[in-house]
Amino acid sequence: MKTAQTIYQEGSHRWVVIARDPSKPDCVIDTNEYLISREGDNLLTDPGGSEIFPAVFAALSTIVDPMAIRYLFASHQDPDIISSLGLWLECNPDIRCYVSRLWSTFIPHFGGDENSLAAIPDEGMSMSLGSGQIEYVPAHFLHSSGNFHLYDPDARILFSGDVGAAMTPPEEDELFVRDFDKHIRHAEGFHRRWMGSTEAKLDWCERASRMKIDMLCPQHGSIYQGDDVMRFINWFAELPVGLSTFRHRR
Amino acid sequence: MSNKPTHKTSSGELAGFVRLNEGIKGVVLIAFQINIMALNAILLAHRAGEVALGFGVISKELRSLSVELTALMQELSNDAYLAVNLISDLLRQERRYRLLKKATDLVANPSPALRDVMVRREEEFSLITQRVREVRLRLLDRLEDARKLCQFGTAISRSAKIEAAYGREYGRALAEVSQEFDQKIQNILPSIEALCTGMQRR
Ligand SMILES: [Fe+2]
Ligand SMILES: [Fe+2]
Repeated sequence: MKTAQTIYQEGSHRWVVIARDPSKPDCVIDTNEYLISREGDNLLTDPGGSEIFPAVFAALSTIVDPMAIRYLFASHQDPDIISSLGLWLECNPDIRCYVSRLWSTFIPHFGGDENSLAAIPDEGMSMSLGSGQIEYVPAHFLHSSGNFHLYDPDARILFSGDVGAAMTPPEEDELFVRDFDKHIRHAEGFHRRWMGSTEAKLDWCERASRMKIDMLCPQHGSIYQGDDVMRFINWFAELPVGLSTFRHRR
Repeated sequence: MSNKPTHKTSSGELAGFVRLNEGIKGVVLIAFQINIMALNAILLAHRAGEVALGFGVISKELRSLSVELTALMQELSNDAYLAVNLISDLLRQERRYRLLKKATDLVANPSPALRDVMVRREEEFSLITQRVREVRLRLLDRLEDARKLCQFGTAISRSAKIEAAYGREYGRALAEVSQEFDQKIQNILPSIEALCTGMQRR
């Protein structure tokens, strides 16, 4: 069973992470979903695959009425990100899912149509949530060719999708990164293999380093906070990625 | 509710309708062979003239029988296609139902809105199940028609054998053709029977 844990709260504005599902089937990768709530407006980031939908739904229900979720955000098109869309629409046909314009005609394979999908332009956009604003920040080619992160300037939280993801062993599977050097070892293989473009990576690092980020929240693994955020950005900027590092030839 | 989605039934049904489609292809092939054979028989009867008048009439009957059988099989195939579509939809719905049900069971106090979603799911499921049932009944009716058609075919191919006996110098050729007719029709009947039992078993 997944659990919901509040990671930020300021009045009615809050971020809740739905994480750690020991009961999930081993064949399915564990994911973090984040609920952003503000004055009754609810947005869920990367709501996950259909097989984990019951667990996400149930964990959310301890915090809000899941039927009241109005917005979904899909950082990209992967099945672990958004294949539950059809089920969410089943619960609330008025739900709107924000996703890169690149995927707005692909994602309906998981459910939904032009009314349920809102296409984010390549340059990104901002959107109001309750009395505040959130921003869809471009992170193309990291790893998907149409890829966005979500930034909440008031909470100073960046939801970074697959960037920052780590495949931690169960004994080190903490909600927040505690020992950066130890943790980052579990992120290295993933970033080398999944992030294909040095140019895109440096572009993102440059942009992220200019943002005020208290927490960097990936879709898999632990959350980076405080100084670990900048540590991560610097580590990522240095990390060799792309085809030249990929030993696929026999 | 009696119509709770069960994945096992639907995938079994799907396999049944796919098999039906394969069976239909077999029958259509034999019907085509009968058609060609009957055409040749009509020409042969024409050459034989007076002595094969009856044989010619029977061959024409067999030819229209093959056309009718082909049309019937086409209708069956359309229905089987429809059924496969409906059941695929059912399978998809079953998966969604299973996941929504699991979510509802995990939630401590499911809201009335969530309960409504489940009720709608079940209603929709019953509706499609009902449509599959209707298609199956229609298929069985058509299979029954096909069976009758084949029984009629058996009877007239026997008459063809008798008519061949009056064929004088063409007697041998006509007897051979009538023998082949009989064999082909005998080949179709078990296929039709198999299709019927395959459908009724559910
Ligand atoms: Fe991904
Ligand atoms: Fe992912």
